[in-house]
Amino acid sequence: MTSGYHGCVLRIDAGSGHAERVPVSDAVLRAYLGGSGLGTRLLLDAGAAEADPLSPEASLVFAFSPLVGSPLTTSAKFAVVGKSPLTGRINDSLASSGFAVAGKGTGCDALLITGRAPELSVIVIDAEGSEDGALPAVRLEPAADFRGATCRDTEEGLRARLGSSFRIASIGPAGECLVRYATISHDGRHAGRGGSGAVLGAKRIKAIAVRGKRRVEWARPTELTALSRDLSKKSFGPATAKYRELGTATNLLTFNRFGALPTRNFQSGTFDEAQNLSPETLAATRDKTRASCVACTIGCEHIYGFGADGAKVGVRVEYESLFALGSLCGVGDSEAVLRASKRCDELGIDTISAGGTIAFAMECVEQGWLDAPWLRFGSGDALLRAIELIGAREGLGSLLAEGSRRAAEVIGHDSIAIAPQVKGLEIPGYEPRALQTMALGFAVGARGADHNRSGAYEVDFSNKVDRRHITLDAVRHAIDTEDKAALMDSMILCKFLRGVFEDFYAESAVMLGAVTGWDVTGDELRETARRIVGAKREFNLRAGWTPAEDTLPDRLLNTPLPNDPEAALSRDRLDALVSEYHRQRGW
Amino acid sequence: MHVEFFGVPRERAGVSELELHADTLGQLLGTLAERMPSLSEIIQRDRLHPAFVANLNGDRFVTDPHTPLRADDSVLILSADAGG
Repeated sequence: MTSGYHGCVLRIDAGSGHAERVPVSDAVLRAYLGGSGLGTRLLLDAGAAEADPLSPEASLVFAFSPLVGSPLTTSAKFAVVGKSPLTGRINDSLASSGFAVAGKGTGCDALLITGRAPELSVIVIDAEGSEDGALPAVRLEPAADFRGATCRDTEEGLRARLGSSFRIASIGPAGECLVRYATISHDGRHAGRGGSGAVLGAKRIKAIAVRGKRRVEWARPTELTALSRDLSKKSFGPATAKYRELGTATNLLTFNRFGALPTRNFQSGTFDEAQNLSPETLAATRDKTRASCVACTIGCEHIYGFGADGAKVGVRVEYESLFALGSLCGVGDSEAVLRASKRCDELGIDTISAGGTIAFAMECVEQGWLDAPWLRFGSGDALLRAIELIGAREGLGSLLAEGSRRAAEVIGHDSIAIAPQVKGLEIPGYEPRALQTMALGFAVGARGADHNRSGAYEVDFSNKVDRRHITLDAVRHAIDTEDKAALMDSMILCKFLRGVFEDFYAESAVMLGAVTGWDVTGDELRETARRIVGAKREFNLRAGWTPAEDTLPDRLLNTPLPNDPEAALSRDRLDALVSEYHRQRGW
Repeated sequence: MHVEFFGVPRERAGVSELELHADTLGQLLGTLAERMPSLSEIIQRDRLHPAFVANLNGDRFVTDPHTPLRADDSVLILSADAGG
């Protein structure tokens, strides 16, 4: 077996609790690596593209990677890969921390969950005490006592019940209620986008608990140690200073200055109250602590206190949550935004899709298309009320739990034109008209509008393009960022490291070689990245994808930004960019 | 011209904006480095460290130290990695 791998997948039937070890060939591992790549390959082989994602037949993969358990910083990550109930297309969400290490420690490179449990249950996978190569003990335990529990309470409760050496990935009430953008949470972090939590909820699985310390060998441990030391050293440098010192929240004022901060459901690119939500203001008025994932030297988590005395409860603050629950909903009250973000974490809801769908509904109310007069832009109370309704699928929340695309189909009035989504996935905090390479990245994204699978915004914030008047030359840059993301999500390393590499592919090949013993090159990894992007497309084709899906909402194509007339993107121009993208991909 | 700092450069500079006179980008950065030693990690002589970028007026990203500046320009200094 190749070093760095166990060479098998643990396939678990949630209906019976039956488990089996399924071998994975060296050729497949080398071709798809792990994480998103391996997960997609396993789903294709399982015929998951054709299945209803909320049916018992649906498959959900928790994929680890060859680097998990290594001393390489940020490598304790896993990908949750399945068919999204929000988009009906491929969905791969990544999360970090001890679940990745313990999960791989059970002696497999991925978990593949199928079936549906007879009642709300926990899948317990325990490799402690069993020999390497043996099937770990797998059982279903009833979880009725955790019904309706928050992610955090579920995790703490299960560790109290099973033992503190277990690591838990769980869903909150939203996952149980099949909110189509429910998350899977672990250690306060979320595999957030695309509704993996609803897939697990449909299987009546409240949580997966893993325990194991099975090790894999490293091909060249001395070299790996030296590489790890070097990478950690780089992770303390200027390229990651932003994440370390301020966190992603610092994007807020930058984007506002560039007219790229989506505001009031993409009606504007600037928000008058942005300063209230900035990390500079938050840090000046609230208690703040920092934290990091297991095996991470960056420490990007910035946790701010909120509550009556400003420090009663802490919430991890990210730019995407600030934008989605703040400017996008027109809410400049930081207390309300932090509270909303915390509540999304507890319920297990993706903040981007929650904010996008609520902002869309607010505009529908404004237009008179939706009868919910309380749901107004700028109202923190309305934002919090909407989140509660979504998490419980009560009243209007039942409609909003479907996401903006499905809600628009019900609301009518051609509201789909202003639903802020691509392929059903709500658009992150990058105004596409002001950042047009990113607009292309959103349009062609396999899982929909997404800033983690396409880093094309980096191109817009460089001298490679004119961000408001991009040409076909931008396409190759967009492809390059998509390929790099595919490789990082499959090896897996945190994308916050991406700025530390001088030659990303070559340096990645050296690390992967030290782990696996492969004589892998940067050129091979370029091909691997393209193969993984291609596998996602293959999944989507099987799921019914058509070229017409690679587009943006009408609003973004017909209306320049009101505060920046130069920020305009016509349908013809986007179509030309998408066609060129398909041509360069060879599709 | 007007200089605006964002994110880490703002933290280092200790101010969000200031006024300076310079004929070129390199001259501006050199002056900033001289006046603000706290920017030493960000400015290397007359250039920005690769982890940071400069933008003119919210329009154009510039790297060439010889880039001419006008009195009414705004120069924005921010992290190169603008996303996340």
